[in-house]
Amino acid sequence: MTGFRITDGIDRGTAFQFTCDGESVTAYPGESIAAALMAAGKRQTRVTARRQMPRGLYCGMGVCWECIMIVNGKPAVRACMTPAEPGMKVETQHGVGDPA
Amino acid sequence: MAGSVFVETPPRDAEIAVVGGGVAGMSTALFLARAGRDVVVLERGVPWGDASGANAGTLSLQVKRTEVLDLCKLSLDVWKRFGAEMDIDVGFGQPGGLRVATTEAEVAHLREYSEEQRQGGLEFEWMEGNQLRDMAPWLSTSVRAATFCREDAYSSPLLSGGALPAAVGKAGGRIVGHAEVTDLKREDGGYRIETKRGALRVKTLVITAGPWSGQLARMLDVALPIYVDVNMLSVTEPAPKILDRVITHIGGILSLKQLANGTILIGGGWQGRGRFAGMEKFADHVRLGQNLTTAVSVVPDLAKLRLVRTWAGYEAVAPDALPAFGRLPNNDGAYIAAAARGGFTFGPAQGLLISEMILDKPPSTPIGRFDPARLLTGAHA
Amino acid sequence: MRETDLLVVGAGAAGLSAASEAAKHGLAVTVLDDNLLPGGQYFRRLPTGYHHTHETVFDKERQRANALYATTGQKGITYLNDAVVWESPENGVLAFARGADSGRIRAKLTIIASGAHDRPAPFPGWTLPGVVTAGGLQNLLKGQRVIPGRRAIVAGNGPLVLLVGATLARAGAELREVVEAAPILKRLAGSIADLIAMPKIVRQAVDYRLAIMKSGARLRTGWTVIEARGADELEEVVLAPIDATGKVDRSRARAVKADLLVVGFGLMPSIELVRLLDCKLEWKPLRGGWVPVRGADFETSRPGVLAVGDGAGIGGVEMALREGKLAGVIAAERLGKLSRDQAANLKAPIQAEIAKVETFRRGLERLYAMPPAFLDLLTPETIVCRCEDVTAGELRARQDAGFGSTAALKGTTRTTMGRCQGRNCLRTLSALIAQASGQPIEQVTMPRPRLPARLVTIGDLLQEELPPIEMPKDPHLPRGERVS
Ligand SMILES: Cc1cc2nc3c(=O)[nH]c(=O)nc-3n(C[C@H](O)[C@H](O)[C@H](O)COP(=O)(O)OP(=O)(O)OC[C@H]3O[C@@H](n4cnc5c(N)ncnc54)[C@H](O)[C@@H]3O)c2cc1C
Ligand SMILES: Cc1cc2nc3c(=O)[nH]c(=O)nc-3n(C[C@H](O)[C@H](O)[C@H](O)COP(=O)(O)OP(=O)(O)OC[C@H]3O[C@@H](n4cnc5c(N)ncnc54)[C@H](O)[C@@H]3O)c2cc1C
Ligand code: FES
Repeated sequence: MTGFRITDGIDRGTAFQFTCDGESVTAYPGESIAAALMAAGKRQTRVTARRQMPRGLYCGMGVCWECIMIVNGKPAVRACMTPAEPGMKVETQHGVGDPA
Repeated sequence: MAGSVFVETPPRDAEIAVVGGGVAGMSTALFLARAGRDVVVLERGVPWGDASGANAGTLSLQVKRTEVLDLCKLSLDVWKRFGAEMDIDVGFGQPGGLRVATTEAEVAHLREYSEEQRQGGLEFEWMEGNQLRDMAPWLSTSVRAATFCREDAYSSPLLSGGALPAAVGKAGGRIVGHAEVTDLKREDGGYRIETKRGALRVKTLVITAGPWSGQLARMLDVALPIYVDVNMLSVTEPAPKILDRVITHIGGILSLKQLANGTILIGGGWQGRGRFAGMEKFADHVRLGQNLTTAVSVVPDLAKLRLVRTWAGYEAVAPDALPAFGRLPNNDGAYIAAAARGGFTFGPAQGLLISEMILDKPPSTPIGRFDPARLLTGAHA
Repeated sequence: MRETDLLVVGAGAAGLSAASEAAKHGLAVTVLDDNLLPGGQYFRRLPTGYHHTHETVFDKERQRANALYATTGQKGITYLNDAVVWESPENGVLAFARGADSGRIRAKLTIIASGAHDRPAPFPGWTLPGVVTAGGLQNLLKGQRVIPGRRAIVAGNGPLVLLVGATLARAGAELREVVEAAPILKRLAGSIADLIAMPKIVRQAVDYRLAIMKSGARLRTGWTVIEARGADELEEVVLAPIDATGKVDRSRARAVKADLLVVGFGLMPSIELVRLLDCKLEWKPLRGGWVPVRGADFETSRPGVLAVGDGAGIGGVEMALREGKLAGVIAAERLGKLSRDQAANLKAPIQAEIAKVETFRRGLERLYAMPPAFLDLLTPETIVCRCEDVTAGELRARQDAGFGSTAALKGTTRTTMGRCQGRNCLRTLSALIAQASGQPIEQVTMPRPRLPARLVTIGDLLQEELPPIEMPKDPHLPRGERVS
């Protein structure tokens, strides 16, 4: 387990679940997909098309496009900018995001 | 520079100089160098720095006028042979192309137009209804019919821009970058060429400087009328397969294709803004919107993709829209390949045919009607 | 088309301050920002459903932040979130993408407050998951209260290094090392006289340092990261001392196990919009590189377009807040809501504060100035262009083959042509060209500015009402001008 949430001083409301690559992940209302995944210890968001390299959140502000994932079937969704939602289906994006 | 395909300065003397390192010039140089001739390419900037690097790479047979179908077939064949026979990776692909019609009037127009092309030797299949849907489920239901031409193809401006110059170098040709030609003179049965990297003398001169060819021809007292369009082109983010054919439109200006890396090029010849003097060229907001609207009306899934970049480039066109290449009028030993609507498609054929003239070989296809001399008289001049 | 008196691009410290001040004096202001929530980077906002139960060390800015957020509801201000400004179709008009609400907006005056992003500093392994930017880390803290790793190292150059170190220490990460490339301890004496102009920030910096020391982490100055290692994620970081010219001493390199590496080598202004607007630029390395040339009253070379905050040159949040406020007064004066005297009275105290921040910045810049020397770190396998997976080796091979210009390297390798539009690679590309040609980096040709300024969804662009399409009679015939 690597990443973690700072809990001191914050009430995040009621947790919910979504899935990433089939595994259940906990998130809170408004939390970004990237933050929820990192808190769950998952940091790889995609594998690049040309060299099959692992990548993850880098800029954290929406301009580098390294954190893109497949969300509910839609490729190239920025995990750092997109709030998680209950029941959402998130997948690691391989290359351009062809369906698995 | 070690390993470079470029030389720093032109030689003092050479047999043949090719002015302009786009697809037309580099193809010419390639065939001449492969035939063992001493050829130097003089390029103002770097090869593919202009239209040849900025274009969409569509090699479509069925959008062409009937008069140029044979020339186009020849060029497609050369494009294919680059990779297949000469080991030059130009990113050629031949998925076939669909030319779509969306209204009754367009369907009628497509029938008429394609029939005329059939007379001219074009092979295609008429597609509608389920047959069309099965082949291209990604097309909008607003597309009523299409012609499918198996020969429609594409090549990659990106890959060819590295590979063709490298091939010229490998074949013994020399390429001088940043060597803008500033003056041309007839001298002792040959030509004296001033460039920003020094002067040289040659026996044979080939002008392949795209829209600037007219200015060069004028230095040799030939007033060739050339027009320039400012074409816009847009590219999307890379995406999973959306479409797998080259798309063109009978009733709208459109070209669409998805490249191997998943990006989709959206263009067709919508006009940007700008002036030729000063090389100012910009996208036009309204026409970009219209270009995208047309594209989405044919392939609705495009609406979901993000636009990454839009740019504009110059396409040189002769007043009658036919390619203009051959001997430069009134100048022995000088040739020109200057303007062709869809000149990326025609570049390799133009290069081959010019080389055949220089090498005294019979032309691979008749070229009489493309003779630039036609533009010096009558309505065009 | 929408219309407004004043259009502000960016709802960060600078943009919101400008909007608030201008609206206070009676202007109709529209603020466009591409984030879901207001605040920009420094004032990145927690999800609206999160509640504070008590104050912690991370809540020191809550008051200023809340005041800024509140301006989005202030009278006279229309705030459009999730709106990407992507081009300028004509003078005084900007186009923005915002789903079904996309369109154009005409303004009498425009303020660009586009902020900044981290400067890319490539080294072997910098693309591994677990390597994040300093800005990204701060955003995760402020916007999410999440720390993306446990055993952490911070490396870089500039004031954010200490800040991030303190963040991690206070958040309870196992902070191992904080390494600052510039020999700031040696330089402190020469800078302190200027730094003291902002005593509060100096005190903060001391606190940051204490927090780092207390955590047991090592704070090294004159060191840098030279490599990140790991299979699918970061596992180990290699650090080495570096001299003032940026030369690395590999013989003293140290490998440290870590699962989080935060890198911060300074920020770069987001200049894509001012470039599209054809504003003149100048090279100010200490302000992040290319910045718009600004005349009196923050006006760029494009009349009616002002630039403020980090987007006009990195100045930090205190500068951004004040430049924004001053720009709000300027706008109100220019659009006739304030007389010259009224405006002068309002400007004077802000200008005095800006002068102080400028003094502080000068001290800061002297403290941290470093020649960027990352080029020595690049191995042939090091990625330069993240989007297109282009390595330094590929670029150098193209350079050796004679394709050494910006256009040729772009054209033959696709560097700068991916989704990030060059934000993560153009600076490195230019540095490689400068190195090979011996030119200073600011003389390396920049690619032509292209729309869109930021990526936009094509569907959004179809929302605009367009004139009917006029087809040419014969699409083969030329449509443009005769050129010979
Ligand atoms: C946006 C766009 C999209 C297009 N899409 C397609 C398409 O899909 N399919 C298609 O077939 N065609 C397309 N075209 C047209 C096609 O790109 C051109 O017709 C073709 O590339 C022309 O090649 P060229 O070698 O004749 O000229 P260019 O590529 O223009 O090359 C001319 C060269 O000459 C050099 N030069 C100029 N003056 C001098 C001088 N004085 N000294 C030395 N060198 C000089 C220039 O630097 C340049 O490199 C498109 C064009 C544009 C702009
Ligand atoms: C990721 C990051 C984190 C940072 N964290 C800290 C920190 O914790 N502490 C610190 O002292 N400094 C931090 N900084 C420095 C910080 O940038 C400034 O101190 C401060 O935020 C500058 O305020 P600003 O208003 O100029 O820009 P910003 O706060 O960056 O605001 C600019 C806004 O404009 C928006 N924008 C830009 N272009 C467009 C467009 N085309 N269309 C629509 N919207 C657009 C941006 O998305 C952003 O919301 C950080 C910088 C970055 C890049
Ligand atoms: S981390 Fe850069 S876009 Fe999400």
